Amino acid sequence: MRILLAEDDALLGDGLRAGLRQQGFQVDWVRDGDAAERELLGQPYAAAVLDLGLPRKDGMEVLAAIRRAGQTLPVLVLTARDALPDRIRGLDVGADDYVIKPVDLDELAARLRALVRRAYGQPQERLTAQDIVLDPAARSVHKAGEPVSLAQREFDLLHALMLNAGRVMSREQLEQQMYSWGQEVESNTVEVHIHHLRRKLGPELIQTVRGVGYMLRRAVPKTQ
Amino acid sequence: MTRPHSLQGRLLALVLGLVVSAWLATAVITYLDVRHELGELLDGHLAQAAALLVAQQGGDIEDDHGVDAPTLHRYAPKVAFQVFHEGRLVSRSANAPASPMIAPQERFQTGFKTEVIDQATWRVFAAHGAEGDVQVYVGEQVDSRNAILWAVLRSAFWPAVAALPLLALAAWWAVRRGVAPLRRLGQTLRERNAEALHPVSAENAPAEMLPMIEALNDLFARIESLMESERRFTADAAHELRTPIAAIRAQAQVALAEPDAAQRAHALNATLAGCDRATRLVEQLLTLARLEAGAAPDLAEVELRAVVRQVAAEIAPLADQKQQHLEVDAAQTARVRGDAPLLAALIRNLVDNAVRYTPARGRVKIDLAEDQSGVNVVVEDSGPGLNEAEIKRLGERFFRVLGTEHSGSGLGWSIVERIASVHKAQLEVGRSNSLGGLSIRIRLPLP
Repeated sequence: MRILLAEDDALLGDGLRAGLRQQGFQVDWVRDGDAAERELLGQPYAAAVLDLGLPRKDGMEVLAAIRRAGQTLPVLVLTARDALPDRIRGLDVGADDYVIKPVDLDELAARLRALVRRAYGQPQERLTAQDIVLDPAARSVHKAGEPVSLAQREFDLLHALMLNAGRVMSREQLEQQMYSWGQEVESNTVEVHIHHLRRKLGPELIQTVRGVGYMLRRAVPKTQ
Repeated sequence: MTRPHSLQGRLLALVLGLVVSAWLATAVITYLDVRHELGELLDGHLAQAAALLVAQQGGDIEDDHGVDAPTLHRYAPKVAFQVFHEGRLVSRSANAPASPMIAPQERFQTGFKTEVIDQATWRVFAAHGAEGDVQVYVGEQVDSRNAILWAVLRSAFWPAVAALPLLALAAWWAVRRGVAPLRRLGQTLRERNAEALHPVSAENAPAEMLPMIEALNDLFARIESLMESERRFTADAAHELRTPIAAIRAQAQVALAEPDAAQRAHALNATLAGCDRATRLVEQLLTLARLEAGAAPDLAEVELRAVVRQVAAEIAPLADQKQQHLEVDAAQTARVRGDAPLLAALIRNLVDNAVRYTPARGRVKIDLAEDQSGVNVVVEDSGPGLNEAEIKRLGERFFRVLGTEHSGSGLGWSIVERIASVHKAQLEVGRSNSLGGLSIRIRLPLP
């Protein structure tokens, strides 16, 4: 899952990026409000962690601006401003969660997962499709109750497809969800990972829509 | 405990005191005037009556002596007359004694005289006929004059005396009404809660009270801005303290979970850096808090060159790490009045800042020189310097110049300013002519 981290403090930003990566997130880190707004409007992130005291443009303004522009992604505000009016304003302007620094990394990751899940209309902690169960917190996948071992990229790809189950995802969209900045995207990489997933989870799960992309089927299609 | 003066009471006492004094003065003048006029009038009557009697006696002198005139009026007992002819009492009023009302002298004298007869004081007029054989005395009791005098005064002044309580009441009401705006202001102030600092309305306030209300509102505004800056400071301080702590926590958690040794070492180093930063921030906050507690430090004679050298020695390792050239130009000693640890903190803040914001292999220079007007310490660097807008915002706490990865707290300048003001030193911020970066001049007065 690819998220944007907007934090101006070098030490804290570095720590949050490392910690969220350990939790399996792809993290892009920006240090000022202008960059945060630009990236959030230009790239498909699953969620954003936004500090309020950002240079150049305050986090609250960034939030208001992206909401005005119709960006609906879940935004978790991470700030040292703990005054009640600030918290209320943050939520009113469009934050989905408001967390006061310092924060536990596990909690931050769990809150982000919950935000993303709800944003995709998935109330359950685990995602299911056919006989496949994906647990984002444990980063585990089961098929018919049996654990299936997946590489990190394969897991991220499956996660993106399951969150968007029933929708066709283009190769670019899937790549954007799998890779953060500075990571080399090899050509045909999505095709290769899809191939691996079909081999491990069965050929019926992911359908190729020729010329458009891929779609994960929620239920097994009825066979004649 | 003394009761505070009441403005209302004072006004009331003054007004009533003046009114009563004016009345008393009027009464005295009236008394004197009436007594004089009355005396003249009644004396005139006595003289006239005497002249009448003399004229009568001159006409026909009957020897029917001992004739008593009848009492015809209630005032008659207070008035008496005697007529003597050749030494014999010819006629007298009922209340007149047999002997002349004025004891006979060697020479008979015409005119007024005040005599005591039978314990009563009389005003007597003596007159004689043209041949001197007829002597007439007409007297009148002084009592009756006084009675008339008092009656006149009484009738003139009793309404005033009776009106005094009414007047006092009216004056009390008027004064109370007059000072009502003051009382209303007091009431308004009493009813506010302690945090209310909005200005008092000057609407409908009398002109005399406007300066007071304006001064009051001015004070409120100043307190409000002070409290606002305190609130902002608390909020900012919370932010500044929480961020390094959040960083320490995140980095420590990363280190705990990191299997890769190099990554773990990176996270642990970052944890330590976070601790250093939090420590420095806490120290700066404490310095600032001590300075703002207002306790003026004891100023003593300080040799500034030693202080500059000590600070330079402390910071040299940091400059060395960045391969910067840190130099001190202090040819002679310079004495100022000050607090040595505070002056060291001031110079350290400036030099530390210069080293932090100047890129690697740059130059930082500390210059100490004395002239007639004072001692100048100039800290210059070859860093990026500050633009006009940034210089203006320097005083704001926690303001940091953007686009740098340096972890300053933004408190340094507040500390510098406070220490400078304690030492009555002037600060000048500008661009360094020789090095091109920031130049800060501290100008300390001579001891």
